[in-house]
Amino acid sequence: MSVLLRAEHIDKRFGITHAVNDVSIDINAGEVRALIGENGSGKSTFCQMLCGIYTIGGGTFTLDGQVMNVRNQVEANRLGVSIIVQEMGTLSGLTVAENIFLGHEDPFMHYGIKDTRAMIREGQRLLDEYGFNNIRAGAMIDSYNFEDRKLVEIVKATYMKPKILIVDETTTALSQNGRLELYKIMDSVRADGRSVIFISHDLREILERSDTITILRDGEYIDTVNSKDVDEDGLKRLMVGREIGSAYYRTDYGTEISPEVVLSVRDVTVPGQIEDVSFDLHRGEILGFGGLSECGMHEAGKAVFGASLERYGSVTLADGTAINDIPTAIKHSIAYASKDRDNESIILNESIRNNIILPSIDDLAEHHILSGGKLNRFAQEYAEKMQTKMQGIHQFVSDLSGGNKQKVVLARWIGKGSDILVLDSPTRGIDVKVKQAIYALMSELRAQGKSIIMISEEIPELLGMSDRILIMKDGKINGEFKRSESLSEEDLIAKMV
Amino acid sequence: MRKGAEKLISGDKLIAFYKSSVTAGRIMAHRNNDEPSKLREFLDGDLFKGLLPFLGLIVILGVMYYLTDGRIMQPKRVRLLLSQVYYPMIVATGVFFVMTLGSIDFTEGSTLGVASIVISELSFYSIPLAILGGILTGALIGAVNGFFHVKFKLQSFIVTICTMYLFRGVCAYMTTETAIPASASIKALDSDGLKIGITIAVLVVAYFIFKFTRIGNDVKAVGSGETAARFSGVRTDKVKFLTFVAAGALTGLAAFVNVIKVGSITATAGNQLETQILISLVLGGLPITGGAKVRFSNIVVGTLMYTVLNNGLVMLGLEAATQQLIKGIVFLIFVALTIDRKALKVIK
Repeated sequence: MSVLLRAEHIDKRFGITHAVNDVSIDINAGEVRALIGENGSGKSTFCQMLCGIYTIGGGTFTLDGQVMNVRNQVEANRLGVSIIVQEMGTLSGLTVAENIFLGHEDPFMHYGIKDTRAMIREGQRLLDEYGFNNIRAGAMIDSYNFEDRKLVEIVKATYMKPKILIVDETTTALSQNGRLELYKIMDSVRADGRSVIFISHDLREILERSDTITILRDGEYIDTVNSKDVDEDGLKRLMVGREIGSAYYRTDYGTEISPEVVLSVRDVTVPGQIEDVSFDLHRGEILGFGGLSECGMHEAGKAVFGASLERYGSVTLADGTAINDIPTAIKHSIAYASKDRDNESIILNESIRNNIILPSIDDLAEHHILSGGKLNRFAQEYAEKMQTKMQGIHQFVSDLSGGNKQKVVLARWIGKGSDILVLDSPTRGIDVKVKQAIYALMSELRAQGKSIIMISEEIPELLGMSDRILIMKDGKINGEFKRSESLSEEDLIAKMV
Repeated sequence: MRKGAEKLISGDKLIAFYKSSVTAGRIMAHRNNDEPSKLREFLDGDLFKGLLPFLGLIVILGVMYYLTDGRIMQPKRVRLLLSQVYYPMIVATGVFFVMTLGSIDFTEGSTLGVASIVISELSFYSIPLAILGGILTGALIGAVNGFFHVKFKLQSFIVTICTMYLFRGVCAYMTTETAIPASASIKALDSDGLKIGITIAVLVVAYFIFKFTRIGNDVKAVGSGETAARFSGVRTDKVKFLTFVAAGALTGLAAFVNVIKVGSITATAGNQLETQILISLVLGGLPITGGAKVRFSNIVVGTLMYTVLNNGLVMLGLEAATQQLIKGIVFLIFVALTIDRKALKVIK
């Protein structure tokens, strides 16, 4: 097999963080190479240097015998490296076609004037070729949902047949159908003798879809293995550097749910999102919410927290308090961690300290006066309790990895001492080790008699952690399951679609 | 024609100054090949950004001292200089909170004008009533701004430009016939002690609120991330509204300090004050995006810097047009050096 991409002594530092430490790997032509590691292991940084988003801190990439020296993503594209990113990678305010050809408009330019019609025609031809004919090349990208926009991005990244296609955590944003489309494209890249670098936290997917797997840990190269020769536990061991216990999810079955109701939701409707949703949350219970991503379960979580902008029906606590706005919810011991962590759960451009103290500020004030020392101690205590990996509590949250951001979110609510926690996609984009810590924390909180609503798009997580599962479909509750060993993924899926 | 040769800046000095600044520029631009990123890192670092306004104040003072042969530090000059600091500093304190939100307020000048008229009219009845009237007038204008900003979800930028014209119009309308005089009793209050006292009191109270109360913390949180602040229990609409009201009220109080100083109000009262305040705060190192990186010292350092720069340029005998040009250049350089590129977003 011939080497398509040779990375030699690749290095990158951000301030005192050594994000990528002297990594050398070869990627062969015609393979799908998975790159795995925990959050902060350097896999995304490595790929972003390869495709020109970050400047290379040290070392060289050699593609097809030619040393790459790119200054930006467009230049990397031209050399044959393209990337599909984890978050939104399309630009609002442009048409689908303009997004596809962004940075590559030259073929459509005549004397400095863009031939819009030719661009749309070509865009549509590509979309049809990929089988995405429900997307119109001339329409504004904003008229499509997250998933369709991801498909547009896939076209954008692959239509010019890149030598190296990087798929960075894209699958978490896609439904099953979208994933299958992406897998097809990955397979065709491989069949052409080109290569895919595949990043995902879903180890099962990694094992199914890749030929070889390279493991990074704390920015360093650990090993490269054949996918055929390893299993999930073996990979976890390599990623974490120690044995991961089998106690990943809860193992207890058959515990009675307390009859004591702590929160009642009655006939809650949010126009266009959810309709007549009613349920009770019991003391010491983990109530799972599952469904397809547009089924309304995320909005249901917001409704409980009083965060919906327009809501009918009632959310009441056991003592009769009505929850209609966020400050009331927080005051009465309700916590909320959003799926949209970076916008709704934490203030990115703020310190860890100020993020942790924010909901508890009234409790920390004495006669309405805040003392810096007391705030510091509070933030320190709970950041440490959650074992947040940080340089100090004054570090900005924007510097942290996804898992550590989530730890900050949880630290603030543990610090607040909330009794009802609404956790929307609590482990989204989070690595094994932190995932395990979050599950352990949930079990601990449950044992303390706190109640948790866990909204999740991951079925194994719902089955593994919930005392009771509600499945939503088209904004309504479509099924209820009790915790049981015999409950299967298929049972839940049957109620989702 | 300019008079008084000693007031003019000598050509030699300008040339010497130019040469030294070019050398300094070369030193700054020089990169050591072994450590290419250290200087860059330092220049981009928070420490440097925090120190920059203080350095700037020292540099501007030094340059002005040099160019005016030390005349700028003469006691009577210093007194004159300080007398121009009081009311802008009070106004800047209010705007500081607005800009910490990540918003902007362009109504200070017209608010000062309208509030000054109210104070002058009321000063014939009772001084405390006049002060109260001024503060209430400012608060009311702030409430109008806050209401449109919060309830109609308009950007503060747009709202306050509109209300700036509106209240500038009110001010002009009320002063068409003749300038509005204030009572003799209010003018008799003019003393450095009172003005310093009010300014320091405002700064101390504002510092306390900013540092040690929930509202101060909430203002910063909204500036850093409004959505996340809302989801953390901050009543963001209320915080924004109250901040605009407070900024207006402070401008009303500043109008009182203005009235005792000038004695009669014309249509141009407070003209261009909004840009002066904006420039001062940015010179003081306030990131125009607001949020976590604002510092209270921005107010004091910035207002002093602006006043020293302004006075120095006047003392150098430069023409108004040249003064504006130089101020523009200094402003540009400071924005480029102090802005936090990571937090770039549209002003709310």
